[in-house]
Amino acid sequence: MSQAKAVQAETAGLDAFSLQQRMELQFEIEQFFYAEAAMIDGRDYRTWLDLWTEDCSYWMPIRRTVTLSDIDREFTKRGDMSFYDDTRAALAMRIAKMESGSSWSEDPPSRTRHIVSNVRIMEVAGEEIGTEVAFLLYRSRLNTEESMWAGRRVDRLRRVDGALKLCGREIYLDQTLIRATNMSTLF
Amino acid sequence: MDLVQEPGSVPDKSEIRSCFDSQSGTLDRRVFADQALYDLEMKNIYARAWNFMCHESHIPNPGDYFINYIGEDQVIVVRDRQGEVQVLLNTCRHRGNALCRAEQGNAKSFVCSYHGWNYDLNGDLIGVPGLSSYYRKDFDKSQWGLAKAAQVDHFHGFYFATLDPAAPPLHDYLGEVGRIGLGLLVANGPVEAVDGVQKNVIDCNWKIAVDNLFDWYHVQYSHASAGMAGFMDLAAILHPNDQMVMFGEYGHAISGPVIPEERQAEIDAMTDEERLAVVAEGMLKNPDKPVAPPRPSAARDLLGPTGVRCMGHPNIFPNLWVSTNGTQLSLRLPRGPFATEIWWFTFLPKGLPEEIRKKQIAFNAHLFGPAGMLEQDDGENWSQSTRTSRGVVSRGYRHHLAMGLGHDEVMTDDAGAARVETTISEHAQRWLYRNWMDWMTADDWADLKANRSPVPQGRV
Repeated sequence: MSQAKAVQAETAGLDAFSLQQRMELQFEIEQFFYAEAAMIDGRDYRTWLDLWTEDCSYWMPIRRTVTLSDIDREFTKRGDMSFYDDTRAALAMRIAKMESGSSWSEDPPSRTRHIVSNVRIMEVAGEEIGTEVAFLLYRSRLNTEESMWAGRRVDRLRRVDGALKLCGREIYLDQTLIRATNMSTLF
Repeated sequence: MDLVQEPGSVPDKSEIRSCFDSQSGTLDRRVFADQALYDLEMKNIYARAWNFMCHESHIPNPGDYFINYIGEDQVIVVRDRQGEVQVLLNTCRHRGNALCRAEQGNAKSFVCSYHGWNYDLNGDLIGVPGLSSYYRKDFDKSQWGLAKAAQVDHFHGFYFATLDPAAPPLHDYLGEVGRIGLGLLVANGPVEAVDGVQKNVIDCNWKIAVDNLFDWYHVQYSHASAGMAGFMDLAAILHPNDQMVMFGEYGHAISGPVIPEERQAEIDAMTDEERLAVVAEGMLKNPDKPVAPPRPSAARDLLGPTGVRCMGHPNIFPNLWVSTNGTQLSLRLPRGPFATEIWWFTFLPKGLPEEIRKKQIAFNAHLFGPAGMLEQDDGENWSQSTRTSRGVVSRGYRHHLAMGLGHDEVMTDDAGAARVETTISEHAQRWLYRNWMDWMTADDWADLKANRSPVPQGRV
């Protein structure tokens, strides 16, 4: 068994896939994430919103500096406070805000660059695919404000009528205190 | 007059007294952009005031700790073995290293990571490596315990601390208006903290953030996009002509909408079951709307006849905002003249039905915090208002805070709380900056008590 195959075999639900099929799926998902990132960075928010299923969930817990002995409390849990706890309607609301002409935090608009990497397929279950990626989001605002957010994204994709859609996103930042005036951007 | 001085110099009292002019309602922008004034704020305001630490539910068990700040002094708020809450300066007495480097957690004792000095939960120094061999027993541990807050007390489970032994008791410090302000948090019954404190840094002076909480004028414009996006009906929350400002001791104030007397009379006639049904129906029909009054009948005893009608924003001087309808607290922690950490705490009544609890938490997450539909835009405005104060010519132009000045009559209820009931105004901002000058020019607590501005009477 090759090294690649040994690593991939740990992914749930991929046992029946040939290496070729796995590579094709990996390619398809990577291209999906690159295109998605380009939509946000290109401010094409409406097209981006169309990538999301009606029942989707978009969530960013709060991270805290804790000791190793308290590490299970590093992130807040579902039902606790968070930075984002959005349905599709809430995502649509954020976009409507940005388009309103009165959204001072995004007008003049920020400049963002989403770097998506370390794409891993964690699970294939019927029409849904569980993935994890590492991201780096750079934002520049006005002339001097700069923010950099790195983190892990746990994204859930669903094949709907043959096309990939996003049905879940959990964003685990590598910052605790958010060193930015706001988070008016999409992750 | 020039308040830009050599580091370490103390601004002259008469210069500080000129920063806010009560006659014209104008404010010198240097209060937002001067290092010497900032340094004096740390000494004369933060090191003297009662500062919010955390809620009892943040640290329920012995050894539970929560890190907070008094000005820029970091403190450990910890429940000791006897169940008492201790507030200890987070700095080892040996070489000053921080003992706790996590934001919260549980500890058996506090061991310094530098040389291993070990402190008990009550701050006593209990272990010094090498006490016999290196110190040759020539060291008295009892003299080198952690520095402690001079006074620690709580109000309905909300813990506060002051570093000044001369500060009045917390109850007196809060006064009627401060007690109403904090009382809003428990007006629907005893609360517990929802896990998670949102924290971010805004490049603004802390006072810009504080005076904004009184400001119901900015809502319709700063937050217009939240209304246009369908997040909330701004007109429905604003009540521009049913506004109340309460003037409290030492600079506490409440500003914002008030329930009209006629409406309160209707609420008073309802049973608690009827009131709860109105709240629940409102929440469940409008998933992104906050829990609104009617408050339960017990709230009248807690808040008094005026406080029970209060829908506005209290600030516990200097920097603790009790946010709309008392489900959140926001601390504005100074980080130099040009930066402020914003912390958001969320509290909900114990035993709230799960569906309502979920909706209130989701609403709070969407409202404030750095990604909040409202606060995104606040940060933008506050940082620019602070930034422009750095321009040597721009800062020569005073801020205008004269809205409503001289147009309202102060009323006082039986409990002694002074208030105006009026339209949107800047009365509370003016009260804040008058009191800021009192604190900044007082030599000590005795001086502040004797010479502070009296709570307004008559025309304001």
